[in-house]
Amino acid sequence: MSESALDRTARALDLIPYLLEHQGISIPELAQVFGVSEKQINDDLILIHMCGLPGYTPLELIEMYYEDGYVTVSDPQSLKRPRRMNRSEMTSLLVSLDLLKSLRTDGIAKEIEDLKTKLLNSLSFENPYVVIADAKSPEIVEMLERAITRASALRIVYLSGTKDESSDREILPLEIYQANNHTYLNAWCQRSGADRTFRVDRIQSAEIIEGKVINFKSSITSLEDGDPATELLVSKRARQFIEENRGVISSLEDGTSFRVKLQSIDEEWLIRTIVGFGGEIEVLSPSDLAREVKIRAQEIRALY
Amino acid sequence: MSDAKTERLINLTLALLATKRYLKKAEILTNVAGYEGSQEAKERMFERDKDDLRSLGIEIEVGDLDVFFEDEPGYRIPQKSYELDLPDLTSRELALLSIASSFWNDSVLAPSAQSGIRKLQSLGIPATMDFEFRMKYRFDNPTQLLDQITKAIISRSRINFSYDSTSLKARHLEPYRIVFWNGYWYLIGMDVDRQALRLFKLSRFLGDITVSKKKKEFEIPSNFNVSDYLPKEDVEIIRTAKVNIRKDLGILLRERGKLIKPGEDFDTYELNYENETVFLREIIWHGANVKILEPVELQSQLLNLVGGVLT
Repeated sequence: MSESALDRTARALDLIPYLLEHQGISIPELAQVFGVSEKQINDDLILIHMCGLPGYTPLELIEMYYEDGYVTVSDPQSLKRPRRMNRSEMTSLLVSLDLLKSLRTDGIAKEIEDLKTKLLNSLSFENPYVVIADAKSPEIVEMLERAITRASALRIVYLSGTKDESSDREILPLEIYQANNHTYLNAWCQRSGADRTFRVDRIQSAEIIEGKVINFKSSITSLEDGDPATELLVSKRARQFIEENRGVISSLEDGTSFRVKLQSIDEEWLIRTIVGFGGEIEVLSPSDLAREVKIRAQEIRALY
Repeated sequence: MSDAKTERLINLTLALLATKRYLKKAEILTNVAGYEGSQEAKERMFERDKDDLRSLGIEIEVGDLDVFFEDEPGYRIPQKSYELDLPDLTSRELALLSIASSFWNDSVLAPSAQSGIRKLQSLGIPATMDFEFRMKYRFDNPTQLLDQITKAIISRSRINFSYDSTSLKARHLEPYRIVFWNGYWYLIGMDVDRQALRLFKLSRFLGDITVSKKKKEFEIPSNFNVSDYLPKEDVEIIRTAKVNIRKDLGILLRERGKLIKPGEDFDTYELNYENETVFLREIIWHGANVKILEPVELQSQLLNLVGGVLT
């Protein structure tokens, strides 16, 4: 469980030039930047403090001060500049840039391309990633992004995919992202008094409510205790169900078919979706859900 | 133990970086702090340390110290090869990189993207954040395989993995490229058993992959172009169905359909669709509020699906 001396060395070599450019940084911030515990950063600093150049008199040691949890380096010895990037750092940055570019239709795409060229000229690495995506950035996306940056409240008309109805809502947009080829907006929804995820292509209209401040009480969970566990048997042919709903799957067992447990989820939506997979998804529990699925199927059949 | 070794590796790096001329092994073992024990033990230690630093990507140059003592090589780390050199990176570009690297949240590429960014942030470029865009990607599961696959591609090593498919499960592949396409991650490569290029969805990989210990087992053809091998979804034929939608319901369908004939309880719409399976699911999703009128084959497919639930 303890980290290798090599990983620690690598971090220490990166710490010093970073400190040099971020004089007076706090230990907690440093720990966060380097993704380790505060104790680990403390231990690292104590260790670095004892390193230096042959002779190892105070003049030749790396000189730094840490007082009240703030760190300053006054003499880094020969470690003034950061190390060259390694292959995985370089490739993950390149693929990140490609992904960012695939999201933009504005002038940024060109800027990113130039930046990539610059990086590749200084450090040449084979890039094993290819990103192929058409940026779809309709006006509404730019508007939502602006609203997030400025913490503006919005009034939206939303077509609910789970309820087959449209509704007016006042929301405070928090986060916008793409997942599984859809664009989603996370927002605080005044009407439901909770965080909600909206599919952006189902927002019919959105306008900024000038001067309106929506205060949201965070960390309200809509999960109710004692919700009966939903358990499904999903055949391999219905694997798309799993791919599209990873977000609500709390456990997944692989076998001749998948045994799936779901977190609390809109029941109406679930019933409708299961019927659409035509017997490829079997409801193990709760039995009410299984019954409801059959009733729906009968109702549909009665139409014809 | 780990402390002592870390300290020694740092001291060695500092010393080899600071020196202008090559340092003799004897000088290193005497002067750099941390080399202890018998002469033999010290030398073994030094050999291991050199390998370790090289494995971190640090280049240690070996050179002749003196023409008269050519049997004794010297060592140093050339500053030029050690240091990150991106002289003209602007604040704006650094901000772009920081935003891009934050896509990885908790996934496996996060640590390397973050350490890359830290290095760039140590270059002394003033940080600015003058972008208003917030759109990002969110990835779930399959990313834990990316790191291993990347290494296999770089070293041209074959991989073995199990794939969730109706036919062949065990796959033996020469990995070419990782492709992010249509919102999903794929791996494209030469399927060794089938001797054909194949595309695999990472979310369908079952369990771990094994990477062959051998390197340079294959070559990626220089004219290889990923987009030649992606299924062309957009050429799928668009068909039209006629459906009845119950009054005031099926709003998502109404949005994209064309009203043919308004009625009392139901309105008749024309809807375009590409993929039958997806379309049928969408219709069924609306329960008894949407009925397919045409084509008849689609209607019977729907009844088959619904029948599947009832058996």
